[in-house]
Amino acid sequence: MLVLVLGDLHIPHRTSTLPGKFKKLLVPGRIQHILCTGNLCTKESYDYLKTLASDVHVVRGDLEENTNYPEQKVVTVGQFRIGLCHGHQVVPWGDPEALALVQRQLDVDILISGHTHKFEAYEHESKFYINPGSATGAYNPLDTNITPSFVLMDIQSSTVVTYVYQLVDEDVKVERIEYKKN
Amino acid sequence: MSSNTKHNMTSQEKQETLLAQALTTVKEQSFEMKLNLDKGRLTDALKPANIMLAELRTSLLSPKSYYELYMAISDQLRHLELYLLDEFQKGRKVADLYEKVQYFGNIVPRLYLLITVGLIYMKTNPSLRQSLMKDLVEMCRGVQHPLRGLFLRNYLLQCVRNILPDSPEDTSGEGKVQDSIDFILMNFAEMNKLWVRMQHQGHSRERERREKEREELRLLVGTNLVRLSQLESVTLDKYSKSVLPGILEQVVSCRDAIAQEYLMECIIQVFPDEFHLATLTPFLRSCAQLQVGVNVKNVVISLIERLAAYSQSPDVTDPQAVTQLFDVFSSQVSNIIQTRVDLPTEDMIALEVSLANLALKCYPDRVDYVDLVLQTTVENFERINLTKVEYSSQVSRELMKLLSIPIQAYNNILTVLELKHFNPLLELLDTQGRKAMATSVIENCLYAGTYIGNEAQVECILVMIAPLIYDTDEKDKVEMDAEDFAEEQGLLGRFVHHLKSDKEDEQYLILSAAKKHFIKGGDKRIKHTLPPLVFQAYQLAFRYFKIKDKDELWEKKCLKIFQYCHQTVMDLVKAEYPELSLRLFLQGTLAIGEIRFANYETIAYEFLSQAFTLYEDEVCDSKSQLGAITLLVGTFERLSCFSQENTEPVRTQCALAATKLLKKPDQCRAVCTSAHLFWSSKTSQGQELQDGKRVVDCLKKGVRIANQCMDLLVQTQLYVELFNHYIYFYEKGNEHVTVAMLNHLLGKIREELPNLDSSEETEQISKHLTNTITHIRERTAAGGVDYSGLTL
Repeated sequence: MLVLVLGDLHIPHRTSTLPGKFKKLLVPGRIQHILCTGNLCTKESYDYLKTLASDVHVVRGDLEENTNYPEQKVVTVGQFRIGLCHGHQVVPWGDPEALALVQRQLDVDILISGHTHKFEAYEHESKFYINPGSATGAYNPLDTNITPSFVLMDIQSSTVVTYVYQLVDEDVKVERIEYKKN
Repeated sequence: MSSNTKHNMTSQEKQETLLAQALTTVKEQSFEMKLNLDKGRLTDALKPANIMLAELRTSLLSPKSYYELYMAISDQLRHLELYLLDEFQKGRKVADLYEKVQYFGNIVPRLYLLITVGLIYMKTNPSLRQSLMKDLVEMCRGVQHPLRGLFLRNYLLQCVRNILPDSPEDTSGEGKVQDSIDFILMNFAEMNKLWVRMQHQGHSRERERREKEREELRLLVGTNLVRLSQLESVTLDKYSKSVLPGILEQVVSCRDAIAQEYLMECIIQVFPDEFHLATLTPFLRSCAQLQVGVNVKNVVISLIERLAAYSQSPDVTDPQAVTQLFDVFSSQVSNIIQTRVDLPTEDMIALEVSLANLALKCYPDRVDYVDLVLQTTVENFERINLTKVEYSSQVSRELMKLLSIPIQAYNNILTVLELKHFNPLLELLDTQGRKAMATSVIENCLYAGTYIGNEAQVECILVMIAPLIYDTDEKDKVEMDAEDFAEEQGLLGRFVHHLKSDKEDEQYLILSAAKKHFIKGGDKRIKHTLPPLVFQAYQLAFRYFKIKDKDELWEKKCLKIFQYCHQTVMDLVKAEYPELSLRLFLQGTLAIGEIRFANYETIAYEFLSQAFTLYEDEVCDSKSQLGAITLLVGTFERLSCFSQENTEPVRTQCALAATKLLKKPDQCRAVCTSAHLFWSSKTSQGQELQDGKRVVDCLKKGVRIANQCMDLLVQTQLYVELFNHYIYFYEKGNEHVTVAMLNHLLGKIREELPNLDSSEETEQISKHLTNTITHIRERTAAGGVDYSGLTL
C-alpha cells in the first residue's frame, strides 16, 4: 500500500510550481492514499493531488485558503493509526517532545507533521515521526537552506518502509527508512 | 421527401436501363467487329465499330454512366488498335485508312476512329507525329458537347501518352518536347473550356447537381497537367517559360471558380517543388487575379506548406531561392490581400499564420520576419478599419492562432517581447480574448521555466497580460464564477515568482514595478497577487543579507524592502484581509529577526505590533482567534531579536490575550501554549529564558480555567492535556513543577474519568491518559527523569 506524504506547497504564495522532476515521479494510479500536512493554499493544488489518488486527506496549514480542513486528523492504513497535523499549532515548532504530546493525544503509531519545511523521520519512544518537508522547497524565514522533499510510505502489515525523495542540486535523491510496529 | 426519393430511384433505374442497353449494343457490335477482324475483313469490321461508337453520342447518360460506357468501348477499341498495328507491321499498306474513316457520317464515332487509326500511323511512322497530333487535337474541336468532348479528348490524351515526343530538340524528325507541350496545352485549354461550359448548361436550380457532376469529371482535365509533369525534357526553363504561363493563362482567363481552385491546387500537387520555388511570383500573382469565391487562402497555404517542408529537405537545388522564399511570399501575400477585396478577414489572418509558420520553420532566428508578419497584419486591420475583434468569432480564432505561434514556437516569452507588433495586435482582441492570450503567455512561462529578469521586460509583459491584472475596459468586463476567478488569479500569483532577476538591485526594481501594476487590480485581486510579491520581497532581503560583505548599502536596502512589504501588507489590511495580513506581518517579523540590519528591532516590533493590532481589532470569530493567537505565540517563541523591554510586554500581552478568548477550552489551551514563551524563548543573548515560575503560573491558570468548565468530558480532556504540559516542563527540568502538582492533577483525572458516560470521546481520553502513563514509565525506565513520588 503506497501512501504519499507531502505538504507546505505554498503555491502561489511562495513559489510557482512543484519541481518538474517531482511531477514526473508523481503519476496517477500508483498511490492509494495521500496525506497532506497542509498549506496547499489553493483549490488548484488540492485538485492536483486528487488527480494522483482519490483518497486525499488534508489538515489545515497556517496559510490556508480553505479554512474547512481540520486541525488534526487520524487515518488508519492497514495496521497503522496515522496522525496528521500541520504543526504550527505545536509550540515550540518542530520540538519532538511537544509533538509527542500530540502523538499521545491522538493515540497514533505514526505522527506526520510539517511546517518547518525540513524533512525528518525518526523513532521516538517506539513511535514513528515523519515530517515530509516542503514539496516545493518553499521559502521559510527560519531556514534559508530548504531542500524540496516528499515522502512515500510503503505499508505492508506491521512494517512501514519510508522513502524520502529530496531534490538536491537538480537531482532526485531517495533514502529508505524502515519502521516496524511493536 | 418520399416522392423525391421515388423520383431519384426511378431516375437512377432509368440510368441503369439506358446503360445496360448501351452496353448490350457494345457487346453485340464488338463481337461482330472482332469476328470480321479475325477474318481479316477490316472494312466490314469498321461498320459495327462505328455503330458501337455511336452509343457515345448519347446525351441521356449521367457522367458516371457515360464513364462506364466509355471504358467498355475503349476496351474494345484496343482490339482494333492491336489488329491495325499488327497489319501495319506485317507491311500491309492501309494508307488510305486515315482518309477512309473520315467519311463516316457522324462526328463522334469518326473522331474516335480517326484517333485510333492516327495512333497507328504515329506509332509506325514517327515522322508523322508532329503533324498528326496537331491535326487530331484541332479536329476534336468538332465536338462541343461538354461530356462527349471531354471523354473524346481524354481518349486522345490516353492514346498518345506513350508516343509524346520528349526530347529537347528535334534531331530525328520525330518531334521535340515543345510539340508535346503545345499539344497538351491546347488539349487542356479545350477540355477546360468544355468543363467550364457544363456550369452554364441547363436549369439554374440544378446548379448543385451540376457542380457535383463537374467535381466527378475534374480528373479528366487534371490529367493534362499530370501528362505535362511526366515529360522528362520539361526543364525548369521550359516550365517557367512555356508550361506554367500556358496553364496560368487558361486558368485565369476561364473565370470559373471551381476550375481555378482545382487547377491551382493541381499545379501545386503535380509539379516538383523545385519548379514552384522558381516560379513563385507568377503563380502567386495569378492567385491574386482569381475569381471571387475561389478559396485563394487554401491554395496559397498549401503552397507555403509544401515549400516550407521542401526548403528544409536535402533536395534543394537552389539555396539562393530558399533565402528569398519568405520575401517573395510576404510581398505576394500582401498583394493578394490588397487585391482581393472579397477575402474574408479570417482568411487574411490565416494566410499570415501560414507565413509566420514558414518564417519560423525556415528562418528560426529571423525574429524580424515574424514581426513583419505581425506588422502586416496590424496594417491590414488598420486598412479595413477593424479595431476590436470579438471573442469566439472566426477572426478572433485566427488572430489568436497567429499570436500563439511565436509563444509556442519560441517557447520563451523574452523572445516574444522582442516582437514590436505583438502587443498592438493583441490589443485588437476584446477582454476575453486578451485574457485567454494572457493565460497562455503565463502558462508558457511557468511551463518553460522562463524568468523575466529586468524591469523593462517586466513592464512590457505586465502590459501584455494587463486584462488579468485589472479591469482594463470597464465596459468590457468578463463575469466569472468565484472558482474560475480564483484559479485565474492564482495563476497570476504563481507568475509573480517568475519575475526574477539574479541581480538584487534589479529585483527590487522589478518588485516595485510589479506592485504598481498589481495594486490596480482592486480588493478582489490583490488577495492573490500581493502575497507572492511580499514573499518575494522577504526572500530578496535574505539575498542582501547573504551578500552583505559585498554591498555596503545592504542595510539601507533591507530597510527599504521591509518598508515596501509593510506598505503592501497594509494595502491588504485596507482591503480587509486581516487574517492574511496578520500572517504576512508575522512572516516579516521572523525574517527581520533573522536578518538583523541596522535598527531591525524597531522594524520588527512594528511588524509584530501590527499583527497584534490586527488580532485585537479585526479577528472576530473564536475559531480564528484561537488560530491567530496560537500562531502569534508560536512565532514569538521563535523570536530572539527583542530586548527585554520589548519582549516583556508582548509576552504578557499574549498570555493575557489567551485568557480573553471566548470559550473556556480555547482559553485553557492557548494559556498552555503561551507558557512556552516563558521557557524556550530566547533572550537577545541567545539563551533560553527558562522562567520556571511564570511557566507554572500559566499552567495553573490553565487548571483554574479547566475547573470552570461545565462539560465534564471536556474538563477531563483538558486535565489530561494539562497533565501532559506539566510533565513536558517537568522533564525539561523546570523546578517549579512539582510531583505534588502532578499527583494533584492525576488525582482529579482519576476522580472524574469513572463518572464519564462511556463514549468514543471517553475512550479517547482514557487512551490519552494510558499513553501518558506509558510514556512516564518509559522515561523513568530510561533514566534521566526522576518521577519518584508520582502515584501511577
